[in-house]
Amino acid sequence: MAGLELKSLRKSYGEVEVIKGVDLNVEHGEFVVFVGPSGCGKSTLLRMIAGLEEITGGDLFIGDKLCNDVEPRDRGIAMVFQSYALYPHMSVYDNVGFGLKLAGAPTDVRDRKVREAARILQMEHLLDRKPSQLSGGQRQRVAIGRAIVRQPEVFLFDEPLSNLDAALRVDMRMELSKLHHDTGATMIYVTHDRVEAMTTADKIVVLNAGVVQQVGSPIELYQRPANLFVAGFIGSPKMNFVELTVEKLGPDSVTVSGKDIGPTTVPADPTSLKPGDTVTPGIRPHDLTDQSSGNLVGEVSLVERLGNETNVSLRLPSGAARLAVLDGDHELRIGQSLPLAFAPDRAVIFNKSGIALHRK
Amino acid sequence: MTVLSEAGSALSHGGSRAIRRSPYPGWFFLPAALIYGVLFLAPTFASLYFSLTRWTLFNSTFIGLDNFAQFFREPFLVQGPVNTVLYAAVTSGLKVVLGMLLALLLTSAIMGRGYLRSVVFFPVLVSTVGVGITFTVLMHPTRGMINDTPALFGIKGPGWLVDPRLALFSVALVDVWKGVGPATVIYIAGIVAIPKDYYEAARIDGATKWQNFLYVTLPLSRPATATVIILSFIGGLRTFDLIWAMTRGGPGFASDTIASVIYKQYRAGFYGLSTAGNVVLFVLIGIWSCR
Amino acid sequence: MKSRPSIFLGIIAIPVSALVFLVPFAFIILTAFKNKQQATLLDFSWPDGFHLWNNIVEVVTTRNWMLLTAFINSTILTVASVTLPVIFAAMVGFVLARRKTRWNGLIEFLILAGLMIPPAVVPTIWLLQGIGLFGKLHGPVLIEVAYGLPFSIILYRAFIATIPRELDEAAIIDGARPFDVFFRIILPLLWPVTVTNIVVQSVGVFNDFTNPLYYLPGNANATVQLTLYNFQSQFNTSYNLLFTNILLITIPPLLVFLFFNRHIVAGMTAGAVKG
Ligand SMILES: Nc1ncnc2c1ncn2[C@@H]1O[C@H](COP(=O)(O)OP(=O)(O)OP(=O)(O)O)[C@@H](O)[C@H]1O
Ligand SMILES: [Mg+2]
Repeated sequence: MAGLELKSLRKSYGEVEVIKGVDLNVEHGEFVVFVGPSGCGKSTLLRMIAGLEEITGGDLFIGDKLCNDVEPRDRGIAMVFQSYALYPHMSVYDNVGFGLKLAGAPTDVRDRKVREAARILQMEHLLDRKPSQLSGGQRQRVAIGRAIVRQPEVFLFDEPLSNLDAALRVDMRMELSKLHHDTGATMIYVTHDRVEAMTTADKIVVLNAGVVQQVGSPIELYQRPANLFVAGFIGSPKMNFVELTVEKLGPDSVTVSGKDIGPTTVPADPTSLKPGDTVTPGIRPHDLTDQSSGNLVGEVSLVERLGNETNVSLRLPSGAARLAVLDGDHELRIGQSLPLAFAPDRAVIFNKSGIALHRK
Repeated sequence: MTVLSEAGSALSHGGSRAIRRSPYPGWFFLPAALIYGVLFLAPTFASLYFSLTRWTLFNSTFIGLDNFAQFFREPFLVQGPVNTVLYAAVTSGLKVVLGMLLALLLTSAIMGRGYLRSVVFFPVLVSTVGVGITFTVLMHPTRGMINDTPALFGIKGPGWLVDPRLALFSVALVDVWKGVGPATVIYIAGIVAIPKDYYEAARIDGATKWQNFLYVTLPLSRPATATVIILSFIGGLRTFDLIWAMTRGGPGFASDTIASVIYKQYRAGFYGLSTAGNVVLFVLIGIWSCR
Repeated sequence: MKSRPSIFLGIIAIPVSALVFLVPFAFIILTAFKNKQQATLLDFSWPDGFHLWNNIVEVVTTRNWMLLTAFINSTILTVASVTLPVIFAAMVGFVLARRKTRWNGLIEFLILAGLMIPPAVVPTIWLLQGIGLFGKLHGPVLIEVAYGLPFSIILYRAFIATIPRELDEAAIIDGARPFDVFFRIILPLLWPVTVTNIVVQSVGVFNDFTNPLYYLPGNANATVQLTLYNFQSQFNTSYNLLFTNILLITIPPLLVFLFFNRHIVAGMTAGAVKG
């Protein structure tokens, strides 16, 4: 049993604070993905868990043990690196068995475990090769094999798939999910690929500038983003944001209107708002449909026809540019005006400081 | 769902935090530091003191700056520093020019390139004393091969090593002969590292070969030039073995350098004076590398 | 830029280079083949007869087989002083490349100083006498180690900087202690630079004249360079023997050159770029 608990974890390099107090609970057996823009501190946080970076402040518990000052080898973790970090002078067999050898495991035990890992990853025929004689995907397997033999409670992955080509990435992604299922171990996975995050995670942690923005299941993040950052980061294409003014407050809804959209009532928590406030509703491009009765009218500026759907860029009356993804194929002229409608309950209202006002 | 979780309070862990050790332990420096410290640094620092003494190895009397005063007063001693700088300047200058030219030649498409590279390089591997003796013989004023050839045409060659005005420069020439190989190799590495794009861009601009050299090769091999100058100048300042094998500082004191003076004073038992010579040499190198 | 090799340039360069660089060697070899009378003429002529073997025997047996002793001494000096610092220098290069502390600046300064500053000879002799190593072979071995360390460290540090740090980290997670990381991961990867290092330094030590001159007085411990220097006065008139001696002591570095040419060139440029 090994969950993880991070309590206001901090990391500074000299004056610069790169992890600014992270609190996080990871249940045993969970598949947790860290996402965020480049440089937000994903790797740093992962490496703090691994014990490769000193923890500047806060507490890290693995299982129930305070691990701040525990050597990496005693944390019950294994890590797979983006560059694989295979030992170039050792055969695959020795690469996988290195940890066991250091731990002083008897030769027969080591041999059995190495071969077992090789069987799971279908790389038995590669055992005698050197890393330089392997393809990218095969190297990745060896790196995972090296992690498996340690039988860790927690697997740590730092962008393990980003050096692979697209097709292989999809295969390996599924294999990792399978590995997670089979071993039942806790996995923490860093990526900046949102699709990877959405498809593999039980729980996604969105980081920005060293601060956790939101923690939740993929669908939760998609449907109920906590703030503008998460709303913009999760989901592709990006959510549309329009600045509007509050007209009227209902018990659990807000009526907004502006230059681009006529009065619309959107479900939201109105307690902190008063009429006349500026708010930013977010509407996903996929939630827009073309309807002559629509109350959002724009001028078509670019059309991309993919067959099953059509991406339309629009210029709104306020001059802002927005994107709609329409189902099916549509023949549209550039410059024509296009009325669009959206289901108000799919929209999210953000207040001036970017916090989402979800209905309770 | 946690939203912008507010900072939890850090728990205190009692006093017993194990200090994790760096994976790159400081004691890895120890064996090297010990040998280097005792056999190189300690004598170097000791020399600062002993250069201020009259010293018999068993006891030393402090005499202030007398050794240095003597070093710059006695005409036969003062020749040393002057010659040393001259020698370093001449050898490094020639190595820069010849090394650059040879490197240009050896990076161009030329017949027998491999042979040429080897031949230029391998004098480096021959013992300096051996080279010194060989050239002493070749430079023999009357019987030496170098003067034999002009003699065929009735021209009398110079007294390379016996003419006091020439001796130092003759040794410097041999130094260049022996040491132009590394300079060339460094230039070759520098020139080969220049991206081909520059030449292609220059060609599109219609540059001639000469312009190519002037505006691409020359500026972009600046780092190589810097390296060659540093290495050969410092090497020149320190030279002892070639001078000693060829002239022993002679004729008279005409080709004495600081290093040969240090040895002569050491042999004569003037240990303090010899060490002062050493300090002069450090200072010279120090000044030159901080310039 | 690819054009056919310039034959014209080659036709000029090859004979000129041969004249400048090879004739002196040819002279050494020819003279070593001559007898005493012919050698005294100091000219570039074909030997009258084959006297090389006689010359060798005479050079080797003279002064109680001193050249042989010298060869043994030089070999011991070279092998010992070149192998010892390999591990020490690699250890320093490793920590220096990996760990950034405020001491790094000072350490790098001391290393550069060792590369540039000539050793203070008399104080060193005084120190060797103090610890009882003056005039013994151990002293110069340690001296050559000390003088060779800066170059080796710079070479190793530059190479280790190209080994990804993730390799160390993977090993640390695998449970490696600092010692294991160095000896099982880093050191095996250093093999190519180690060859370069050993080759360059051994040629340097074998050919070193100055340090044995100061630190190894007396005939019993003479190295080959010292015998050559001593013979220079002794064989003042026997140029055939002098040049036979030069020929004999040039053979080992020449063999090294033939087999390790590439490593030497690599060492020259690597050391130089950093220096
Ligand atoms: N050794 C260091 N010294 C100073 N700053 C550092 C150091 N290592 C990382 N940083 C800084 O910490 C921040 C977080 O880096 P980190 O590598 O964790 O980002 P990341 O989220 O993994 O980004 P990426 O997606 O590009 O891998 C960055 O701004 C980086 O510049
Ligand atoms: Mg990263």
